[in-house]
Amino acid sequence: MEKAVFLPDTELHEALAALSADAQVWVPAGDASKPDLVRFQRYRPGLSVRLDARSLVSAKEVLFPRSEALLRFVKEKDLSVPAGHRLHVDDTRTVPPAVVFGCRPCDARGFLTFDRVFLQGPYRDPYYAERREKTTFVSLVCRDADGACFCSAVGSGPADPQGSDAQLIALPDGYVLRAITQRGAALVEKIGRGPTAEQIQAARDMLDQAGREMVGEGSLTAMDAAFRARFQDAAFWHGHIDKCLSCGLCTFVCPTCYCFTITDEARGLSGERIRSWDACMFPHFTLEASGHNPRPSKVERYRNRVGHKFSYFVSKYGQVACCGCGRCIRHCPVSVDIRAVVRDLPVQEEVHA
Amino acid sequence: MDEKNDKQLRIVGFLCNWCSYGGADTAGVCRFKQPPLLRIIRIPCTGRMDPLFVVKALAQGADGVLVSGCHPKDCHYAVGNFYARRRLELVKRFLPFVGLDPRRFHYTWVSASEGQRWQQVVSEFSAVIQELGPNPGFGQDAVTENAPQAVSSQGGAGDTERCISPRSL
Amino acid sequence: MKTLHSHLEDHFEELELVIGWEIGFEPLRATPAFVRRREDLARLVWNPLCAPNLSVYLPQILKSAEKTEKKVAVCLKGCDTRSLTALIQEGFVDRERLHVIGLPCPGTVDPQALAQARKNRAPVTQVSFQDNLLILHSYEGTEEIPLDSVLARRCRRCRQPNPLLADVVLGDPVPARCDAPSFAHVEAVDSLPLEERRAYWERELDRCLRCYACRNACPLCVCRDRCLAESRTPKWTTQRDSVRDKFLFHMIHALHLAGRCTECGECERVCPVGIPVALFKEKMAQIALDLWDYQAGVDPAATPPLQTFDPSETGI
Repeated sequence: MEKAVFLPDTELHEALAALSADAQVWVPAGDASKPDLVRFQRYRPGLSVRLDARSLVSAKEVLFPRSEALLRFVKEKDLSVPAGHRLHVDDTRTVPPAVVFGCRPCDARGFLTFDRVFLQGPYRDPYYAERREKTTFVSLVCRDADGACFCSAVGSGPADPQGSDAQLIALPDGYVLRAITQRGAALVEKIGRGPTAEQIQAARDMLDQAGREMVGEGSLTAMDAAFRARFQDAAFWHGHIDKCLSCGLCTFVCPTCYCFTITDEARGLSGERIRSWDACMFPHFTLEASGHNPRPSKVERYRNRVGHKFSYFVSKYGQVACCGCGRCIRHCPVSVDIRAVVRDLPVQEEVHA
Repeated sequence: MDEKNDKQLRIVGFLCNWCSYGGADTAGVCRFKQPPLLRIIRIPCTGRMDPLFVVKALAQGADGVLVSGCHPKDCHYAVGNFYARRRLELVKRFLPFVGLDPRRFHYTWVSASEGQRWQQVVSEFSAVIQELGPNPGFGQDAVTENAPQAVSSQGGAGDTERCISPRSL
Repeated sequence: MKTLHSHLEDHFEELELVIGWEIGFEPLRATPAFVRRREDLARLVWNPLCAPNLSVYLPQILKSAEKTEKKVAVCLKGCDTRSLTALIQEGFVDRERLHVIGLPCPGTVDPQALAQARKNRAPVTQVSFQDNLLILHSYEGTEEIPLDSVLARRCRRCRQPNPLLADVVLGDPVPARCDAPSFAHVEAVDSLPLEERRAYWERELDRCLRCYACRNACPLCVCRDRCLAESRTPKWTTQRDSVRDKFLFHMIHALHLAGRCTECGECERVCPVGIPVALFKEKMAQIALDLWDYQAGVDPAATPPLQTFDPSETGI
């Protein structure tokens, strides 16, 4: 471990406060009225930080806010010009540096899907790019996978360093914080103290153990062809999806769902152009101006969700657009299990109802 | 209540086309003095009233909402206000549950000939609203909703037809 | 559950589809099951984990189902039969096409409450039920948890555990937890001063993701893809992530359920961020009871109060 420090439990808040001095620090924290409801929140003294708990919503909103103003506009009435008004546009923005502290490896890895689309695709998204460049991810090596987790099945794992700048390894009385990238090394310098040889050894053992662990069965990474073959099989999709309620929960809690919509929200003569989360599970996502909807029901919409993550994205970018965090399964009101759907894609005989 | 706030107070009035709008007109024609808080939206019938109109107006910070239509049994469409009064009473009783002041919402019946009564309704309700002062609404206003000045005018003069294509997009 | 299976076995020839519950991806997750083949009947379960209200599927299933002599069987708890009754009242469901299996319900489990009540942390490998006890097996051992201690909020105020409308009722009647409509939770909010009430809802609704799970899980939200909340013309809400827009969405939901909501509590059960959204509808139900002595989903022949009027009404 090249660059590592030890962070005792008792000094966690101190360290977070120190990091907050020059960055927005996002930590998983319990809600004031619902302590077991853990979400990423801006660190402030007194916040009940919950590194031990899985967060409900991923850290995606740090780089990809639920709603962000792309520009602000004001119309000034002026009858001397043909339009009857002049338009003043302001698209300045300030993006402060940020640290996501204590997300799980799957959360950090989820942004690799975003990077493909927003940074490496034909169009570079400046809003995302600026946040991405200024954000440091510190992930916690995950020791508490539950029945919905399946990171290993999508080629990751509970100790996956991909996408993280530094890693936290939980020991009985604190954490070993290990730098992975240069950005992570810069962060590690600011907090903690020199670890003892025993602590380093314990962390190394833990990392090894977590690295060998398999979370989720089988592999869901090579389903491109199977999906295409299944595309027209109405009975298959109905069998799995009849129970879906067609809400947007799965996409909103997902660390890799990046679809958005852009709307102008004005009142009177002023307003904003807003980019906000959208979901392929909503009817308006594909509704055409003519009134025709190419995805008229939840079956087509859910099929698209599966196809996008496990087929189209794979053929376009060579990786699945899923990090295996299991949130869509864990929080689904009717427990629709995307693993089961994908796993059944290549199955030949009729296994579904 | 200081003068500045007094000036800014606004009541949104939803008046049925056939009775209360006529009643308000009668009051005007007769030169009955009324407080200047009311802004009228004419609706075909109080049966058109969606309770959401009331909730949205109050949530966005309207200081009062006044609904007025034909007297029951006098509806131009026979039964529109019978439906309406059930909805309006329901929403009146619901508002306090979500923390919106029910005193800011009033519904009543005024016929086209009742100019005097209209004056009384408006005066009394305006007095209530003046007493209550500005309505905080529900939640915060979005930054630009009430602050057009907050935006710098970098679009520049003579730039009217400019497409919104800022350099960084 | 033997009687459910044997009943369905006996009647399967008359049925096109059976909607019930099965075990989901882990033993504590019961999930809706759509059974079209006889051999799949064995997957069906009925226990206090079967929380989803299956009547939500009926309007669309019946619309898309082929016109055959065969019926659609649906398993409904006491409260779920009220939802079905309300759907019948409004003409969204053809009663004749249904085979309703009524299930007297001892109450459903709140997963969060169960997680807190458990002492072991290991994943549950098996669960069984006995005399109002949940018996959970995991590799750390066996725990017994009284059902009453982990009930969902909706079930703690339940007054209709027994089906009101069914072709067959399987199981013995269950005593109701409340004799009269109970609005204690609504009254707790009502007892706050007005300002605090608004602050309370602003705080709660701030968590809303607008995922619309509450709306889509609601059996009486029958507009489905035509919901006002997503409409741009007329535009009721913006795409801003502001508490006012979230509030307006919830008002759209609540006001459209005025005098219709049967208080099944699904909206609250499915909310991922734990907003007590059912309270809005309970308040509506309380008002409907006060004003018109009306309870939704009790009488299939009744007209919902906002869809009718009474010229002789006074005081409003």
